[in-house]
This record gives sequence, C-alpha cells and structure tokens, in this order.
Amino acid sequence: MNEEVALTPTLKAVLSEFDGLRYRYTSARRLRVDLPSDALPAMLELLQGRAGYAHLSAISCVDWPDDGDFELVYHVWSYTHQNLVSAHIRIPRDPGVYLSVYDLYQPAGFFERDIHEMFGVYFEGSPDMEKFILTEWDGPPPMRKEFDSEGFVNDHFTWQEYRPEWLEEIEEQGGGITTRPEDIRL
Amino acid sequence: MRAENYEAVRQPPSNEYELNFGPNHPGIEGNYALKVKLHGDQVVAARADGGYLHRGFEKLMEGRLWIQNLALVPRICVPDPAPMEVCYSVGIEDIGGLEAPERAQWLRVLQLELSRMASHLFAFGGHAATTGMYSPMFWGFADRDLILDLFEELTGGRVYHIYNIPGGVRRDIPEGFLDRVTSVMDYIESRLSDYDNLLFTNQVFVDRARGVGTLNQQQALEWGVTGPNLRATGLAFDVRRDDPYLVYDQIEFDVPTEQAGDAWARTLVRRKELVESIRIVRQVVERLPSIPGPIRCPIPNPLAWNLPAGETYTRVESSKGELAYYIVSNGGDKPYRVHVRGPSATHAVQVLENLARGSRLEDVAQIMFSLDACPPEVDR
Amino acid sequence: MFMLHYCTGCGAIELPPAMTSRFDMERLGIQPMVTPRQADILLITGYVSIKTLKRVILTYEQMSSPKYVIGICSCTVNGGMYWQSYATAKKLSDYMPVDLYIAGCMPRPEAVISGMRTLMENIRSGKADNWKDYYQRYDHYLGNQQGLFGEKWQTPTDVIAEADHYGLSGPGTRGEHTELLLQHQKPLEALEMRLGLSGKTVEVES
Repeated sequence: MNEEVALTPTLKAVLSEFDGLRYRYTSARRLRVDLPSDALPAMLELLQGRAGYAHLSAISCVDWPDDGDFELVYHVWSYTHQNLVSAHIRIPRDPGVYLSVYDLYQPAGFFERDIHEMFGVYFEGSPDMEKFILTEWDGPPPMRKEFDSEGFVNDHFTWQEYRPEWLEEIEEQGGGITTRPEDIRL
Repeated sequence: MRAENYEAVRQPPSNEYELNFGPNHPGIEGNYALKVKLHGDQVVAARADGGYLHRGFEKLMEGRLWIQNLALVPRICVPDPAPMEVCYSVGIEDIGGLEAPERAQWLRVLQLELSRMASHLFAFGGHAATTGMYSPMFWGFADRDLILDLFEELTGGRVYHIYNIPGGVRRDIPEGFLDRVTSVMDYIESRLSDYDNLLFTNQVFVDRARGVGTLNQQQALEWGVTGPNLRATGLAFDVRRDDPYLVYDQIEFDVPTEQAGDAWARTLVRRKELVESIRIVRQVVERLPSIPGPIRCPIPNPLAWNLPAGETYTRVESSKGELAYYIVSNGGDKPYRVHVRGPSATHAVQVLENLARGSRLEDVAQIMFSLDACPPEVDR
Repeated sequence: MFMLHYCTGCGAIELPPAMTSRFDMERLGIQPMVTPRQADILLITGYVSIKTLKRVILTYEQMSSPKYVIGICSCTVNGGMYWQSYATAKKLSDYMPVDLYIAGCMPRPEAVISGMRTLMENIRSGKADNWKDYYQRYDHYLGNQQGLFGEKWQTPTDVIAEADHYGLSGPGTRGEHTELLLQHQKPLEALEMRLGLSGKTVEVES
C-alpha cells in the first residue's frame, strides 16, 4: 500500500514501469522501495539510465532466518536529484543465489564479494567471487545468524589466568568473587 | 613465505615478477597487502589483499546492547573515529525518534571538524612520507597532537573519544575551552603558509605527485569514488552540503575542488579542506556561547532499551569520503544488523587496483596514501 | 634499540606521535627499523587477527636473537574489546613469548615510552630473556599455533635447528607437535627466478 507520496517526475517515470512494488519515504531524502527480486536489475537499470542515479552507495544483506530469506538492500544515490533510493528485495536462503549488478554499477563488485564471504550468497555474473577478508577461514559464513561467535571463541581459544595477589588475599580470608562475568549477560 | 599463500610463478622466460607489497611495509597505510606483478619497474597487475585487520565488527555489534556498541564503533576507522560515532548515534536517533538538542548538534560538528583536521594532517604527512619527504610528516603529527590535546580535554580520550551518545553528547565544554580551540586554530592557520612552502608548492613534491594515479571524473563516478578523491576530479559533492545532517545547513562553508584528479590534486583538496574546517570551527566557536540548553535529550534506561523496529541509512562525510551505516532494528535491545559502508570500501580495493596498474612501483605507495585508503574500514 | 615498524592493529596510531617531535623516542635510543632481520623489538600494537598472527609469527621467527616482544594495548592481554570475535587471537602469549605488556586502549605515547624504558631496564638486569623460552618450549607454542592454524602449519624457519645451534633446546623443544611438523615439513626450495636475458636463469634462495 503506497502512501500518498509526492514522487518526483523522474522517479515516477521509473517506478510506474513496475507493478508489485511498494514505496514510501522514510525521511526527507530517503525513499524505500520493496520489490520482487526479479524486477531489481531492470529497476536499477532504469534508475541509472532514466533517472540519473549514478552512485551505488552500498549493498547490504540482512539475514532473516525465521522467514528463510536474505534481504538484499541496494542503496543508490543521485547527484542531480540528491535523493537516496533503497531497493529491498528478498531472496530465499536455501540456494542463496542472485544476479550480480556489476555491469551496471562497478562498486557492486566489492560489496557482492563481501556478502558472498560473509553470508554465503552467490552472485552470478560477478567478476570476482574470491574471498577478500576471510581468505584463510574455513568455517561457515560468519555473519549468518546460526554462527555463534562466542561459542567459536570458547572452543578455540584460552583465556588469561587471573590470579592477582589482592584476590588471593581476599580468598584466604574467606571471600572471593560472588558473580562470575560469564553469569552476567546483558 | 608459506607455501599455500604463495604460488610460484612457473612460466616461460619473461620479465614478469610477482611482488608481495605485503602487510609489513611502511609504504602501505595500515595493515594491508597488495600483490603486484611487475615488468621491471612497471606494475602490470595488482591485486588487493585485505583482512589483516578483520575483527568481525558487524557480528560483534549484534551481540551487544545499543549503548555498548558506542565503544566499538570508533575503532572501525582508526585515524578519524568521530564520524563513526556520529553516524551510529544519528542512526539510532532516527530509528528511535529522538532528536538531539541544538547545543549537542553544534558540539558534534565541533568534534567532527576537529577530527577531520587531525585526519587530514595525518593524510598529507603520510603522502609526503611516501615521496621521501619526512619533515611534513613530523610537522603534521606535531600539529595533530595539539588537536588531540583538545580532544583529551573535551572527551577524555586522545584517539577514541566515545563522546557521542544517542540523544546528544556526553559532556559539555570545560571552562575556557573555546579560547584554547581558537588559539589552536590560529596556530594551525599560521602554519599553513609554512606547509605550502615545504610541501604543497615545493617543486620536488609537485613533480613527484603530479600525474600519478590520475582519475578523471567519469572513472571516478563509475568506480564509486567519494570524498576528497572525487572532489579532486572536479565534482563538488559533499554529504555535508547535499545530504545535510546535524546543523551543517546553518554553517557557511565552501566545497573545494580541483580538476586534475591526480595525487597532487587530491592532497591539495585536503589542504583546502583544512582551511574550510578551520572556518567551520570558528563559526561553531562563535555560535556556541549563545546556544544554551541541554546537551542530551532524555533516553530510556540504556541497559534495557528496546528500540522500535525499523531501519535507517545514515550518511556522513568523513575525511576519507562518504561513510554510511545501515542499521536494522527488530524491536530488541541489540541491533539486528549493522552494515558499515566505509569510504575506503571502494577506494582501497577496486580503485587502488585499477590505478596501480600502469604506474611505476615507486608510485604505488603514493597512490595508496593519496587515496587515503584506510584498511580498518575495509576489513571492519 | 630498533623496533620493527609493523602496524598490526589500532594501537599503531599512537606510535607516530611517539616517534615524532613531541614525544620523541629517538632521544632514548629507540628507532624504527624496516626489516625484521635487523630489528630487536617486535611491537604488537593492538589486537592480532588470525590472518595477521600468521605473519607476525613468521616475522618473529625471522628476527635474530636476542629479540623482545612488547604487547601494546589490552587486546594482547586477554582479547580486549574483541573477546567475542571469531577473528582475533585472545592470548598472545600462547603463540609467542611476550616480554612486556603495556595496557591501555590505547596507551598514550608516554605510556609506550615508559614501557620501552621498563623493557630497557629489564634487559639491563637480565630479566627479559623470553626469547629463550621460545626455543625451550617450542613444542608448547607450536601446539597452540597448530591448534589455531591447522595441522599443516609450517614456517620457513627451522626453529629446532636454531635451538640446537644456540644450545637452548630443552625437554620442551621437541614433542608431539614437532613430530607432526616433521611429518609434513617441506624443506625450502630454491626459488627459480628467470630473467629474460638470453635464457640465463638465476637461482635465488628464498
């Protein structure tokens, strides 16, 4: 359901080409568009060509394990209209594959590579799906919600011994630590 | 050399030689590596290799409360931590429907501009050092230390301030602080002509840096370059002007540009921005006494604060380019997802590889420093 | 004393102020050095991510003895702020012997200089000889390294031979982990570098 938003003529010219999308302004210069995942490359192409949204600011990925989806958000900015459009799509978590928009926006090369190594989403058509940060990591994609970072740390690392003299003196007198740090979890 | 990290180049006799411009190198800003293939002195191909500073920030932030992340967030960009804090705090304020009082916004502008100046003094000192001139680096660090002293007085920390809080800033300015700010600004302004003589109009530096790593505006827009690097190609885009946040719409400042797009132009843009930042700080110092009021708006108990569900994409202009945070909240007391888009995400990987190709080996370090590519932002 | 100019983490931003005119380490005799082969001190400035830790251990083994390791910032002590992170090493002294810790986040340049002076005192009085510990308990360190990096972990330096050469090998030098290492250790091969000069090949020891 679209609110009565006053779209600029250029944006209207682009968004009216698609059906099944919802859009609203989240703040003065931010437009949020939700659209089906097969419509995204066409919309980005129209935004770039027809409406002049030349700058891809970022591609973010959010993991929604309860819905079984990854949400990919493409943030594009126009230098001429000074407006940011965030295009949200959902792709199913199970194959976790989507098309790359590298041919439209070159910065996508880095962001897609990053999402690939952190979430495990494969982007077809991307020039480079090699790992960048996690080149020597052979565990699961770490940003997925099921990966427990603290559990991993407790399995693989040891902690420093902490036996200062003042603590030992207190313990000799019968005192000591009453609440261990592990038991306080905010 | 570890066998798995190095592949021996087995090929018919050629002049090509693969060199690891590796993490332990003073010509690389921070802990980052660039594998270059050379023909003698010419770089034929370059491949960026990051991840040496990876701490898994985005994962860490999901496991801590909204307020606890304020301690983590400045550490994402080491030379210029203030925009990170401001971006995160402003993002939380957007989601939570809070508004920081006016005095807090002016104080945030002060912190941001001082941090920008400190970062630029670091950046052109570093760039000069890659051309072999170490005096500007020493001078830059000495002057930067004066700004760090101001920060220590205002916030308690030299490098990581943790001064912002969603809803405002933590402390008001101490007695006589504005006079000290003014005297530091006067001092830095008086030093600019010395810097010009030593560095910016020095024929040695100009000859070394001119024509190195040239970007034209078309390439810069295609490759997603932002910040001083884009302004050096002629496009006057600044997030402070075109997507204003805080009280920048009430402050007068220019957006300096250059046309050449090479390393010298980029460093010159930073020098001009230093002048603009001094101008902004002086305006803040003038306006601040006449804006009384609280420095924080009331927030619920930070240890048990469930932010309403929503998301926001906040952008600020850091000294390196466009910094953006995509924060998603699902109504809990911890962030659901925080995606940090550092300005060097595009600069340090694709732009650096493209620019290094075709340059000479001695210029690769210069290209990296003139792009001001900050590896902790890329690696998060 | 020559410190290796290797910025491993955040704390490296307070090193240039310590080196330049304001806090000036050079008057105390501490200078940066570019190559590990000629450096005395390895400064681990901040957290070490696992990828960096491999390079740091390689660098440490390349340094010639006597060598000293200073762990700057709290992250080297017990993980610091990134204790929940899957990508950083928590306790640096598991992987290499550390002579001095300078706590802080990050420590001021004055703290760094004061730490260096403490190290100089320790060296003068003979207390700072943890480099011998690396040879004497190599098996323990190698075990921790293998536990983190996998069983195929190998560095080009032959630490056991060095330990024998220095006369520092003890009961802790060899053990089950070094047995594992010897099973798959590949000796260094000469790196064949060919130049296009009339078919002449030059062999370079890597």
